Amino acid sequence: MTSNLEGTEPPVIAEVRDLRVHFGSKRGRVHAVDGVGFQIRDGEMLGLVGETGCGKSVTGRAFLNLIPQPPAIIAGGEVLFRPRGGAACPACAGSGCHACGQTGGETLDLLKLPQDRMRQIRGARIAMIFQDPGKALNPTLTIGVQMAEVFLQHKSDELLQDAGISADDRNLAANALRRIAHQEDRWLDRRLKRFPPLRQAAGRIQQALDARVAAALAETQIANPLRVMRAYPHELSGGMRQRVMIAQALACDPDLIIADEPTTALDVTIQARILELIKTLQERHRTAVLYISHDLSLVRKVCDRVAVMYAGRVAEVGTVSDVFSNPRHPYTQGLLAAVPRAGARRGHLASIPGSVPELVNPTPGCRFADRCSQVMPACTQLDPVLGSVGEGHSVACFLEHPPHAGAAKIEKALTE
Amino acid sequence: MAVTDLPTPPKRETAFGVRMRRWRDLLKTLLSNPTTFIGFLIIFLLLAMAIFAPFLAPPNVPDPYQMPRDWGATRMPPGTPGFPLGTTNQGGDVLYGVIWGSRTSLQLSVIVVSVTVVIGIAIGSIAGLVGGWIDETLMRIVDVFLSIPELIFALAVAAILGPSFTNIILSLCIVFWVKYARIMRAQIILIRQADYVQAARVIGDTKLSIFFKDMLPNASTPIAVQATLDMGNIVLVGATLSFIGLAESGIAEWGVLVSEGQAGIASGRWWASTFPGLMIFLWALAFNLVGDGLRDALDPRTEDKR
Amino acid sequence: MMQPPKTDSTVAMKAGDTLLSVRNLNKHFPIKDGILQKVVGQVRAVDGVSFDIRRGETVGLVGESGCGKTTLSQCVAGLTDPTSGEILFNTGQGSQLGDGDRIDKLPKDRYRTFRRNVQMVFQDNFASLNPRQLVVDIIGRPLKVYREASGSDLTERVVALLEQVGLGRQHLYRYPHQFSGGQRQRISIARALALDPELIILDEPTSALDVSVQAQILNLLGDLQKERQLAYLFVTHDLGVVRHMADRMITMYLGKVVEQGPTETVFQQPAHPYTEALLAAKPDLADDPDKPFALLEGTIPDPARPPLGCRFHTRCPRVTPSCGWEIDDIVRFLEADESLFQSLQGVERRSARDADLIFKDPASAVALQEAMKSSSVPEAMRAATERLTVEGSRLRATFSEVDEVQLTERGPEHFAACKLDHLSR
Ligand SMILES: Nc1ncnc2c1ncn2[C@@H]1O[C@H](COP(=O)(O)OP(=O)(O)O)[C@@H](O)[C@H]1O
Ligand SMILES: Nc1ncnc2c1ncn2[C@@H]1O[C@H](COP(=O)(O)OP(=O)(O)O)[C@@H](O)[C@H]1O
Ligand code: SF4
Ligand code: SF4
Ligand SMILES: [Mg+2]
Ligand SMILES: [Mg+2]
Ligand SMILES: [Zn+2]
Repeated sequence: MTSNLEGTEPPVIAEVRDLRVHFGSKRGRVHAVDGVGFQIRDGEMLGLVGETGCGKSVTGRAFLNLIPQPPAIIAGGEVLFRPRGGAACPACAGSGCHACGQTGGETLDLLKLPQDRMRQIRGARIAMIFQDPGKALNPTLTIGVQMAEVFLQHKSDELLQDAGISADDRNLAANALRRIAHQEDRWLDRRLKRFPPLRQAAGRIQQALDARVAAALAETQIANPLRVMRAYPHELSGGMRQRVMIAQALACDPDLIIADEPTTALDVTIQARILELIKTLQERHRTAVLYISHDLSLVRKVCDRVAVMYAGRVAEVGTVSDVFSNPRHPYTQGLLAAVPRAGARRGHLASIPGSVPELVNPTPGCRFADRCSQVMPACTQLDPVLGSVGEGHSVACFLEHPPHAGAAKIEKALTE
Repeated sequence: MAVTDLPTPPKRETAFGVRMRRWRDLLKTLLSNPTTFIGFLIIFLLLAMAIFAPFLAPPNVPDPYQMPRDWGATRMPPGTPGFPLGTTNQGGDVLYGVIWGSRTSLQLSVIVVSVTVVIGIAIGSIAGLVGGWIDETLMRIVDVFLSIPELIFALAVAAILGPSFTNIILSLCIVFWVKYARIMRAQIILIRQADYVQAARVIGDTKLSIFFKDMLPNASTPIAVQATLDMGNIVLVGATLSFIGLAESGIAEWGVLVSEGQAGIASGRWWASTFPGLMIFLWALAFNLVGDGLRDALDPRTEDKR
Repeated sequence: MMQPPKTDSTVAMKAGDTLLSVRNLNKHFPIKDGILQKVVGQVRAVDGVSFDIRRGETVGLVGESGCGKTTLSQCVAGLTDPTSGEILFNTGQGSQLGDGDRIDKLPKDRYRTFRRNVQMVFQDNFASLNPRQLVVDIIGRPLKVYREASGSDLTERVVALLEQVGLGRQHLYRYPHQFSGGQRQRISIARALALDPELIILDEPTSALDVSVQAQILNLLGDLQKERQLAYLFVTHDLGVVRHMADRMITMYLGKVVEQGPTETVFQQPAHPYTEALLAAKPDLADDPDKPFALLEGTIPDPARPPLGCRFHTRCPRVTPSCGWEIDDIVRFLEADESLFQSLQGVERRSARDADLIFKDPASAVALQEAMKSSSVPEAMRAATERLTVEGSRLRATFSEVDEVQLTERGPEHFAACKLDHLSR
């Protein structure tokens, strides 16, 4: 897949290249993600769709280095990310070159980033919204305290400023407060906090913190932020918890949000409101979003582009209108046809026969071959790769890109 | 997890064969764990000793569970011809005690575990299924039992019943059922709401059948683990009781032997209590190793992977 | 209480005779609290529900989670005893259902007939199969219970059932965990089919499955229905699935039926604003992608304290002054306003629609009075306010009394419980 970074399109802010994540299991190596590649442009919403177990979540988690190793083995590939306003590109010193996609910014490989750098990025530059907000929130802390964590971790300097302590203030009290704001407070600081003059300043920090938390919650249309801040997660409804998660994700104005099935656990009416919220906030902040979902109609509604995954690989990628109105991969076609719609006769939905293949030590060949109605001999021996079928629309299927002569020879050799 | 279409096995499968394979797979998983394997090995040797006791050491007449007395060979050290592990103060052959003691221990643990498991399952099931005040009452009793340490409780009961090995068995039965009752009740309450129980009710199956087909098999895992652990613990507690003197003196029982031999330790006659003590330790250790292995192997999170 | 689609109409006879009838069914769960487990309230999970299922038809049951769909289907399946109301089942004693057909009063042999003929498929395909049993035992179990088959005959019957649901002999001796979700759901369906029932209750049978597998299962259910004249009670929250599967549909909200009617009619002309909102909230592959989301405000109220009048009035976009405004609506409004809520000290109720709200200071009472006259509360709520007077720090509010909303006929077999006669678009 060649990067098309030029042109008037917004710059590529993140890119997954040939990502391979395998899992060790008793029966062998599970190739959960096996050569996934796609790009996310600045400010766009990219949908990642596919059936359960096709590797969507693993791919999403790779952006935050949240894949547990073991059992996972990162077998190759890179996850590139260019923070907005980051350091200058080392290759061109900021003037823009091919390596940095003409942005002049530095490109980070998130898989190779040291832990402390990752921690700075996580939450601040890349945030995640999980499917189950109940599990992602700490049940023993109030919403306010959990939200405050994010600001203390990433925005402590601004907090100090709000409290009237400038960065070059170096006296004892200022240092103590700085440590408190950075959550590095020592025993003595905690004692000192109780006495003037620290008390007033600490109070001001707390006020600034509360104001920020309340503002973040209010932005997600939570009617009564102060009440929600005092509540524990279990006291809130599912939709409300998801709003808190979104507020938390947006708190530091990140460049990229990974939303892993954010509305799957919610009812349709609440789902519609959460989606609307994500969409408006995304447009307002011009945040890029990787929207993971198995619901095709939702993706069509909220996303700009979509990547369809099947069994650990990307089958098709393109703009939402291209992919949904002119699907070129047999799997995408099958998936779209399987959605029950008005007018289809009962018992006559177009279903894809069979089920998702096991990904234990797979042999080469199209992963969809055993369910594909148009399977050809080459399909079971060679891996189809993504190739362009139109402006920004790529498909990995031999129907579109017949295996070239060299590959055909290999195929012949294999069949003999 | 999802196995799509496994190639049809060449041989015709039978339900019996598949079930056996599940057991075999379980055993394989168990044995692949080195500590569990060691536990199994020790248990195997101990069981062999118990089974072949009459051949390893000719039974004492009239009562083989009574230590033989050879007043001409008291306090012999290990290595004495005829007495490889030495003799006790009363001229009892320590090797005989070790060998026949394994039979005593096996009897003790098998009787106590089977009785307590049955009582525990019965009481736990009644509490979990009937609910209401019956459940309340039974569980309060269980709480009271559990609040007293097992050993002290057993000691008190055995003391009241009077010193004899039979009474030790009886007292252990009275003490050890509570854990099973509690485990069983918790399992039943969980399983009662399970969809497969609902499904069985929709079919119209009887309550009894649902209990034996759905509830009992699915509740059995933690019970089996606890029972294995208790096979070891009971011998330990039983030996402690007989050590204190709650069993008849002179019987071939490890705790009694340790007790009777300990007086001699100060004067350098270590063997009379060390060998039976070692046996108690090995027995408890082996069952605990296997119990832990069983718990890991039966963990539902890992079971699916097989 | 009216009984919408009772059996007297000629329409019912034409469409096939009534197989099962639910009449004014209630299921309340006590809420217990404290160490003494005192009953402090009731969750009205199912509250006065009536409907019929005819031979060979599919009735869809939709609604948001917690609205009582599962509770209702468990009552119908005879798994839970309703608090009150009756379920009548046609055991072949003539087509008019009467008191003698109540499933809780059936004699033993006719109860057996009911039990055999009403089967169920659950949402969680893993939890609904006993993990310790082989497929042959699971599917063969109903046959054994009714002593229909044994030995090799049983095995052959199980194979035949497996083949009907798209599995085969090679799956006989497998454990449930060795299958995929879709295959497990097929096993559940085979078990439900074993006794050749007349009605299968499907509680969200495809909610846990992916679309491509869902399509397979829906097709299977469609084919089986045609072959065997099965009736389905199809519970789901997916409107696309209901439209595809159901002949008639029922919309539930907080334990009550708010609308029922032929599926296509309801989809094309919903007569209840809640159904309308549900339809609008679900994005469909067929509609225009640029169409904005139709949003429904607010959250589902606590089922232990359902709103008076029309239960939907707290969220209804078309709400009118006569929809059941009550003091709790003021409390809900206050909950969204931190400062006013903080100064609220108590509510002295004369009735659910007439109360004094006591504040810490007169200013708050006046502030609330002002707010309740402004556009920050719905216009309909303002119109329904009969009295809004401040005395010191007390605010007295009274709303006009209104009748309960009843299901009324909107067309052939189409009923809705709404004060509005028709929904203008
Ligand atoms: N923690 C894990 N341990 C073992 N295997 C895993 C783990 N997480 C994911 N997998 C494997 O990776 C595959 C893809 O998982 P996932 O990304 O969660 O799928 P999706 O989000 O598309 O439903 C799964 O089929 C599973 O086999
Ligand atoms: N066993 C129970 N005890 C108490 N409350 C229950 C019980 N089962 C269901 N409920 C309550 O009844 C209401 C309806 O639940 P349910 O029938 O499961 O809804 P649905 O299937 O539509 O999601 C919910 O508010 C739920 O909390
Ligand atoms: S490569 Fe072959 S098997 Fe794969 S989708 Fe295309 S035609 Fe089908
Ligand atoms: S009666 Fe109709 S208009 Fe009034 S609240 Fe209920 S649904 Fe809305
Ligand atoms: Mg996932
Ligand atoms: Mg339900
Ligand atoms: Zn550059």
